[in-house]
Amino acid sequence: MSNEIWVLIEKARQGENIAAISRELLGKGRQLADASGAPLAALVLGAGVGALAERAFAYGADKAYVVDDPALAQYTTDGFVGAAAALAQKYQPQLVLTGASFQMRDFSGALAAELGVGLAADATNLAIDGDQISATRPSHGGNVVNTLVFGAARPAVVSVRKQSFAEAAEQAGRTGEVLSEPLPAVAIRTKVTNVAPKQGAVNLADASIIVSGGRGLGNAENYFKLIPPLAESVGGAYGASRAVVDAGWVPYEHQVGQTGKTVSPKLYVACGISGAIQHLAGMRTSRTIVAINKDPEAPIFRVASYGVVGDVNELLPLLTNEIKKRASH
Amino acid sequence: MHIVVCMKQVPRDNSVKINADLSINAEGIEQIMNLFDEYAVEEALQWNEKLGGKVTVLSLGPDEWKDQIRRALAMGATDSLLLNDPSFAKLDVLGAAKAVAAAIKKLGDVDLVIAGRNSTDDESGAFGPALARALGWAQLTYVGKFLDISDSAKKIVVERHLEEQIETVEAGLPVVATVVKDINEPRYPSLLRIKKVAKVEIPTWGAADLGVSADGTAASITARVPPPPRPKGELVEGADGAEKVRKLVDKLMENQVI
Ligand SMILES: Cc1cc2nc3c(=O)[nH]c(=O)nc-3n(C[C@H](O)[C@H](O)[C@H](O)COP(=O)(O)OP(=O)(O)OC[C@H]3O[C@@H](n4cnc5c(N)ncnc54)[C@H](O)[C@@H]3O)c2cc1C
Ligand SMILES: Nc1ncnc2c1ncn2[C@@H]1O[C@H](COP(=O)(O)O)[C@@H](O)[C@H]1O
Repeated sequence: MSNEIWVLIEKARQGENIAAISRELLGKGRQLADASGAPLAALVLGAGVGALAERAFAYGADKAYVVDDPALAQYTTDGFVGAAAALAQKYQPQLVLTGASFQMRDFSGALAAELGVGLAADATNLAIDGDQISATRPSHGGNVVNTLVFGAARPAVVSVRKQSFAEAAEQAGRTGEVLSEPLPAVAIRTKVTNVAPKQGAVNLADASIIVSGGRGLGNAENYFKLIPPLAESVGGAYGASRAVVDAGWVPYEHQVGQTGKTVSPKLYVACGISGAIQHLAGMRTSRTIVAINKDPEAPIFRVASYGVVGDVNELLPLLTNEIKKRASH
Repeated sequence: MHIVVCMKQVPRDNSVKINADLSINAEGIEQIMNLFDEYAVEEALQWNEKLGGKVTVLSLGPDEWKDQIRRALAMGATDSLLLNDPSFAKLDVLGAAKAVAAAIKKLGDVDLVIAGRNSTDDESGAFGPALARALGWAQLTYVGKFLDISDSAKKIVVERHLEEQIETVEAGLPVVATVVKDINEPRYPSLLRIKKVAKVEIPTWGAADLGVSADGTAASITARVPPPPRPKGELVEGADGAEKVRKLVDKLMENQVI
């Protein structure tokens, strides 16, 4: 067994760089590698993806395993897991890190099962201590924080929630060793026949500021009059409680909570949201929480960094104006 | 067409406590069918209405889970199966998937397994992928629409609803699919049906029936704690709305939040 730490690299949606999650994983991976004297390797899978290895070096990887094959042009479980499992069996890393997007949860779950090793899904932290690898992952809507210690089988597979770690700093000119490997003979049993961008897709997990509205907004019209403009004034995205998603005011994409998105932005503004435990499950790890609610007893105030008691109809237009005013000074 | 729906019973909310042995204590919290699994049951029923055959609701869990198995039967599932064994309590999600795979192989004639995208208690989302690998079948996760299922051609076409894109994907049956929320409107079981299934015998298999042993988990939980408390917040007060808002923005700017 080698003691290498591997990071599965994803391409940014726009531009030529690697995705923010990959830069975060390389940041953490570099720390772990330095502390345990282990090499940090990028795992680059896809078609025409050679340049991503260079980007990974700039963010701290020492080497890159690259499988560049037209059959990997689209993500398929069989293609990606087949390639990664063969490499892992050959080079025996101690740890494989991936993001925790839907696609990466599809991948990491299948990879761990394929290799017969342990998995920590949607982890928020991890540590290597000698031979022991452990990960922290929340469950039960964030009401329970679990520490998982991996058994002897390697690699440990960990999918990591966005914004859990700081991004690695870019070091221009830093290089590393590229190991090109062929795609092993795997049967790819699924065929992707079309990929379409989601209509009005919002990736709340990416947003550093989220303004959410709940039933306290009264109706859909009022929601749209008050919430998106405030979100826009702070350069944020807009979210919602399940109550308003179920009422059909906004699509499911915007739902925050136990059965919606789990988000951890720098700032979360909850407007007219009571703070039911299922809503808190999705946002309680936000760095700063602002709650605006007319009921001083609303449970949302128990998690709020700043609470304002009052009517959203009065406060939200004032807040949007105030922010715009300050921005223009 | 034989469709198996994997279903988990979970607490309605997650205000759970942690026992001294690190198990979860959900006493006093109402138990419900995992939300995503309700969509899985409904989807299976709708395709069963079109294609005929069987819908088996399958859970690996304690005896109490029969409550939600009965709910699925009342919704219209034709068959049920509970996997229950004292040794199963130790299984993690990958182990549970292996035991469920053994049961599905034993059933023999299964074309399609539908599970939820994740459970709302454990939230691993790994059960579907692990089950697919254990069965040696393809997986289709995060399905937001089943476009076509053909019994004769043994083919399936779905839409996978990812964060920012929709993939259309084809595969040959059998497959394991996992579903997201809102792909259908789960039906309410009628009182008549609830009564009808109240006394149905739910077949139960143990470890010996499956020929599986609950060998240790690949990762074990060594600590479980409540989340760290949030730093104490403050109430922003003022003579009127305008003052409150001004003070709030001051604080957000001072702390470089905006
Ligand atoms: C299995 C399950 C899963 C769930 N998953 C989720 C989930 O993912 N996400 C989620 O959000 N919920 C979820 N829920 C629902 C959750 O329990 C609550 O019902 C929901 O979050 C309530 O939404 P709300 O806060 O918008 O509405 P309400 O609870 O009705 O609260 C409205 C709030 O607005 C305030 N208000 C009213 N008028 C004004 C005004 N003019 N100005 C200021 N404040 C005002 C009120 O004081 C109140 O606090 C789930 C429930 C279950 C059972
Ligand atoms: N013990 C179990 N019995 C039956 N189905 C399960 C079990 N555990 C998980 N599942 C299924 O797998 C899905 C994902 O669960 P999880 O991997 O725990 O997030 C659930 O929605 C269920 O459909």
